[in-house]
Amino acid sequence: MSFEPKILGIACNWCTYTGADLAGTTRLQYPQNLRVVRVMCSSRINPSFIFRAFQLGADGVLIGGCHPGDCHYNTGNLYARRRLAVTKKILEFSGLEPGRFRVEWISASEGNKFSEVVTEFTAQIKSLGPQTKFKISQ
Amino acid sequence: MTISFKQIEEKLKTEAKRLLESGQVSVVLAYGKGYDEKHPMPYVARNPSDVANIVFNEYCNYNMARYLVRYPAGTKIAVAVKAADSRAVIQLIQEEKVKREDLVLLGIPVYGMKNPKTQEIIDGKTTGGLYNPVLYDILLGDEVHGQAIQLPYDVLAAYESMDKEVRFAFWKKEFDKCIRCYACRKACPMCYCDPCFIDQNKPKWGDKSPKFHGNLMYHLTRFHHLAGRCIDCGECSRACPVDIPLYLFHKKVARECEEMFGQAAGMSIEDKPALVNFRVDDSDKILE
Ligand code: SF4
Ligand code: SF4
Repeated sequence: MSFEPKILGIACNWCTYTGADLAGTTRLQYPQNLRVVRVMCSSRINPSFIFRAFQLGADGVLIGGCHPGDCHYNTGNLYARRRLAVTKKILEFSGLEPGRFRVEWISASEGNKFSEVVTEFTAQIKSLGPQTKFKISQ
Repeated sequence: MTISFKQIEEKLKTEAKRLLESGQVSVVLAYGKGYDEKHPMPYVARNPSDVANIVFNEYCNYNMARYLVRYPAGTKIAVAVKAADSRAVIQLIQEEKVKREDLVLLGIPVYGMKNPKTQEIIDGKTTGGLYNPVLYDILLGDEVHGQAIQLPYDVLAAYESMDKEVRFAFWKKEFDKCIRCYACRKACPMCYCDPCFIDQNKPKWGDKSPKFHGNLMYHLTRFHHLAGRCIDCGECSRACPVDIPLYLFHKKVARECEEMFGQAAGMSIEDKPALVNFRVDDSDKILE
């Protein structure tokens, strides 16, 4: 059986989640490996969510937020940018494959970009194979 | 130039006595006798007569800034600070945990401090390559000059060049040793949250028993919470009963923060902590 990765997506309500909606209503095709969780802002994302997702079996984590400057709360994604950059460095130094974590700015009108990013990221995770380092083994 | 620990001890006693007698401070945080010379203890002097118990020698590694947050706001405190400790005080001021005007900083310029467990000199590994306190009111001794400075991030090279598989195996082996005594968190001047995320039950962020996955969750999150705040005193690693080199990971995160945000932790009371700040022109490159 071919490897179907589990990918956690965390998307902000105002941009990326609406962008995902748009991708859906315009019937754009993208792989179904992504499970999206909606948060009100990308700065709502506690880095522990990401560590925990990897522990609970995610093969990849994709974060989506508004483009810098477009945040619904003005500055949320500017804090998130710094914070998530640190998260990325920590995952890397701990030895996890750097390609398993990605942050993208996708606006509400970028349904196309959403489907492109998901397609590309899913292919990347497929080529990396199952994530076993952090996963809690039963 | 050599360091006279005896001389520093004498000056520390004189200043502590003067400050307590004049009523300028009600508490002096310094070092006191332990069960032997190699194991001095954190010491709190409250009366001029306590001052006789103060000691200072090459094993006084403890970061006394750790104890500042335990006193009610407004308590006047004098605290003995070495180079890294003074950065901890600055960082606490930035985080509005203590006020500059409530503190008298007794700066100790010193090098050649030793780890009592291994006898090795700690200068090159931790303390950020600094010998003189960054901020102080009274300097107890002469500034250290001409002492070879090892750059703070030199020790990282071997780990940064490791293959990721090898590095994961390295950290797995280290984290597997952790017995979750939380001495690292107790020793750290920047770990003052109550309750700590790992002690929470709803949500339960990580397993509390000393197994790899709970340990991983605890440590990675702790490294994250100290990003841009760790001032490289190295106390976490020295407190650890199973000698996990936590300082390496903290240093790596500190280095990345310094490169990305252009500011090292605890260097100026004018700064804002890097992660509660942003610049509109921060580059998206930092996410790559
Ligand atoms: S994490 Fe370790 S080195 Fe950093 S401030 Fe805390 S005790 Fe010191
Ligand atoms: S001091 Fe060492 S053993 Fe204790 S919790 Fe920290 S890392 Fe684990």
